[in-house]
Amino acid sequence: MSGASGALRLEPYISHQMSRRRKRNRAEAMESVAPFRDRSTYALDAQLASLASAGDDTAFTALVTRFQPAVFRWSLIFAQDPDEAEDITQEVFVRVHRKIGDYRSDAPLEAWLYRVTRRTATQLRRKRGRRGRLMLSPAARPERDMYTTDPGGRVDRQRAATVIRELFSDLPRRQREIFDLVDLQGLSPAEVAERTGMRPVSVRANLFKARKAIRDSLLATHPAYSELSR
Amino acid sequence: MNCHECLEELATGSLRELSAESAVSRHAAGCPDCGPLLTQLRDREYQAATVLNTLPPISDPVIVAESAGKLSHRRRMGGVVVTLASIALGLSMWFAASTLIPDIIDGGHGMGGLQTETIPLSCLSPQQAGDIISPYVRGRGRIYYTAPGVSAITVRASPSETWRIKDVLKNFDNPRATTCGASGKANADALQRQLEAGATLDQEQKALEEQIRAKQSSDAPVLAGDKPTPGKQKKPAR
Repeated sequence: MSGASGALRLEPYISHQMSRRRKRNRAEAMESVAPFRDRSTYALDAQLASLASAGDDTAFTALVTRFQPAVFRWSLIFAQDPDEAEDITQEVFVRVHRKIGDYRSDAPLEAWLYRVTRRTATQLRRKRGRRGRLMLSPAARPERDMYTTDPGGRVDRQRAATVIRELFSDLPRRQREIFDLVDLQGLSPAEVAERTGMRPVSVRANLFKARKAIRDSLLATHPAYSELSR
Repeated sequence: MNCHECLEELATGSLRELSAESAVSRHAAGCPDCGPLLTQLRDREYQAATVLNTLPPISDPVIVAESAGKLSHRRRMGGVVVTLASIALGLSMWFAASTLIPDIIDGGHGMGGLQTETIPLSCLSPQQAGDIISPYVRGRGRIYYTAPGVSAITVRASPSETWRIKDVLKNFDNPRATTCGASGKANADALQRQLEAGATLDQEQKALEEQIRAKQSSDAPVLAGDKPTPGKQKKPAR
């Protein structure tokens, strides 16, 4: 009786201790990620953001020039094709121009920009979903002028759209994001967890599911696959 | 390692981290089924990564920055306009509600809630009462009637307005109110009293003059052969 009550009394303390230990482990995991960052780069980013928030157009242009390729690449994770990624990129920088004052320099600008990109892509997708699926079909979009002057670029973009369609067409949004970040962009699961705000365990679980879904069609060509799937 | 274990590893493992010395690689190197499969999987992911990671954005960053600035400014102005329009709409709705809802609450439906009541007046004239209550009967369908010679006023208003009008009239239409002294009847009474007071004074003055005259005639010296002359009249000292 007394033992049971003692166990009950100890339970909150143990769970508190466990949660503290978990927090400490998570902080250590984050710190282990930290060395790849270049602190002088962060200082430069913070300075650019500070100047841009003060209304300096030159600083904002420098910031766009610096981060446009990265934002475009992240937009490809969420887009159906490169044209949609261009639209997302433009919208991201409109929002950045409006909300650059919200950025706190204690965190990397890159992570903040990634969150903005992610949120923007989600909202644009919802908005387009409301307006109808006709707009999402690549055939319904007018061709951009620069494709007529840059045939090579056009081919590259068509290839990219094909890759996106083949790899990600049936993949849930979160799995697609994690697979792209880890297996195509080369980030570690810990970095992805930090960037997306997910737990590392969830990142790994989603990554395994995504890999299995993507590789399943090729693995099915193996003679022993049918036995494995049983 | 057999083919089953190799497939299980390939289904969820990282192909990037797959070294040449790993068990999967060694098995795939000697297996006619797993070897090509591993190559295909690697090629596909490598090509996908190459295509997506090397694709540059086609928009010029300077133009993107300029467009972002313009769109941001336009949206900010749009936000201000929307806010002001929302405030104006809210005020309009509040005004409309405050105008229409009391009529409904009064128990009627718009003008149907009006009632007619005649209020008797004790000392105010109907015109005076009308002047006093006219600010309270300015609404739609509200009106008051006065009849000449009848000390009463008839009001058509909502019950709450009628109650308020009665309350206002009560302050002015009572004998203790100063406005009652300014009524026509009261003025006439006051004038009559003044006139009566003036007539009494005249009578008193005449009697005094008679007395003086009589006294002067009795005090004058009488000479022989002379007729007594009437004495000079003294004007009464006022």
